Amino acid sequence: MSSTREYLLRCLEPHLDARAHEWLVSACAECEALPHQPEVRFPTLISLASRKVPAKPLAPTLAQRATAHELVSGWNPERWTVLEAVRAVLVLSRAHLAGPQGVAILDEVFRHADIGELCALYKTLQLLPDNARFTWRAGEGCRSSMSAVYEAAACDTGFPYARFDDVAWRQLIVKALFVGAPLHRVYGLDGRLDEELARIVLDFVEERRSAQRGIVPATWACLGRNGGARARASLLTELSTDHAAGRAGALLGLARAGYTDDFKAYAARGDSDPLVQQALGRALAARPTQDDYAPLFGL
Amino acid sequence: MRFFDPHIHMTSRTTDDLEAMSKAGVRAIIEPAFWLGQPRTNVGTFVDYWSSLVGWERFRAAQFGVAHYCAMGLNSKEANDEGLAREVLAELPRFAFKEGVVAIGEIGYDEITKAEEKAYQWQLEFAAQHDMVVMVHSPHRDKKNGIRRSIAVAKECGVSMSKLVIDHNNEETVQDVLDAGAWAAFTIYPHTKMGSERMVEIVRQYGPARIIVDSSADWGVSDPLSVPKTAHLMLERGIAAEAVELTTWQNALDAYGQSGQIDKEALLRTPSIDQRQLFHQNSVLRGQAPRIDEVVPNN
Ligand SMILES: [Zn+2]
Repeated sequence: MSSTREYLLRCLEPHLDARAHEWLVSACAECEALPHQPEVRFPTLISLASRKVPAKPLAPTLAQRATAHELVSGWNPERWTVLEAVRAVLVLSRAHLAGPQGVAILDEVFRHADIGELCALYKTLQLLPDNARFTWRAGEGCRSSMSAVYEAAACDTGFPYARFDDVAWRQLIVKALFVGAPLHRVYGLDGRLDEELARIVLDFVEERRSAQRGIVPATWACLGRNGGARARASLLTELSTDHAAGRAGALLGLARAGYTDDFKAYAARGDSDPLVQQALGRALAARPTQDDYAPLFGL
Repeated sequence: MRFFDPHIHMTSRTTDDLEAMSKAGVRAIIEPAFWLGQPRTNVGTFVDYWSSLVGWERFRAAQFGVAHYCAMGLNSKEANDEGLAREVLAELPRFAFKEGVVAIGEIGYDEITKAEEKAYQWQLEFAAQHDMVVMVHSPHRDKKNGIRRSIAVAKECGVSMSKLVIDHNNEETVQDVLDAGAWAAFTIYPHTKMGSERMVEIVRQYGPARIIVDSSADWGVSDPLSVPKTAHLMLERGIAAEAVELTTWQNALDAYGQSGQIDKEALLRTPSIDQRQLFHQNSVLRGQAPRIDEVVPNN
């Protein structure tokens, strides 16, 4: 029995009444006894869960969230639902998932999954044994046009950071900008920034500016120390816009890139917008991280 | 006013339709699995179609503040391809228990052939066994006889009359359906068959109990605003407001709510639209500004 399964069962305890708990125990027992090839019962149990347990938030405590990250690097179950946790427990209980048929068994579930099931399955990939086998699948999630599915595959999980190749990783990040997904919740963003990503992002910024469209503040989290003079010029241009969250994001970007003089010169200009003030305060204290973009999300 | 259109094929409709429906007060819809205008040639296209009903179409409707439910089944026309029908029915249990599946449907007779009856019976027995609601499509030719037979066979298969909805009724068939204790749904077709004016007279004559108005809008000439338009005409012609509410909202909720798949409280809350959260660059919002926190009109 895996430690992540034990962990999820502990998180679930306060949320399941006797009937739901009894169902989960018997469904787990069924999963443990299933054959080594894909079959129909396992996907059916994953579906049935929605009729047996509530779809309310799992609401793990702060301590539980810390434990999750210790168990699986990058895992943050903060936004998981009870139903998702139950589905993850069923997947972790499935016999032969670690065997040579493991990918085929899970593919069978993905092929027939509804939105809620897709979200649960993508969130579970990081918890699976030998999870490099599911890298293609995780990439599929990051191509989804359904924002909830994209987030399930890309955010609050260490899977892409650990497993994606550079092309898939950059696609995930740029897609977050396109769809307005919470990039600050992509685990490991700050640890995997490179020149090629900076080039792609700066091209994207120019396209947006040509079309006279605004730029998502998180865009400026994608540069790090990359992009050279072109990045610096682009950041400075953003500071002259009337988009306060964009100015705040660009200031954080200048600080992240180490353009301390530019940053201080702007501070002296007296931009009193609260978002800008917050960003200045943060940047003066330490080198800003991706988390500092959280207050700018959606603005 | 708020409306429930319990029979509409959104797969064939545009975002203009969704926008107009949302503006007109359509809060909830049911999309029953049907045929797509020409016969499918393999089971995989059924699987992908059903997947879209619990995936993409639900997502698309949600972006306009419209709650999307669906019914799963093999329609009567395609039941006539017996080899394919067998394969399709074998896949049906995978989808029947997904979240938001409120019925088995739309099933029934088209030409009233042996093959149609076989598929109909199989699905009725499946529904009875799992205590599900059934949505029955009645034939356009030989309708009166077809409806009598639909009801009789449903009874034989153990379907409770309180869980049987017979659709596409007219003045000639409504009495039989009401006498049997089933729900009588009426499809309002522009130009032909049942128009809003005839619907007004039916509600006047038979009262609102167990009578449901829907649009069945699909890929043919049809009107996704049939339900709100009919409601307004009923009010104009002196039908009591409670009767209008029953036939265009509450009865559908009561009939399909028996599935346990409709969160009635959530449906009664004023929905708000946040396309920034839901939309995707590749999906439906292309370049236009997202609608944020725009409350869906309720009056
Ligand atoms: Zn139809």
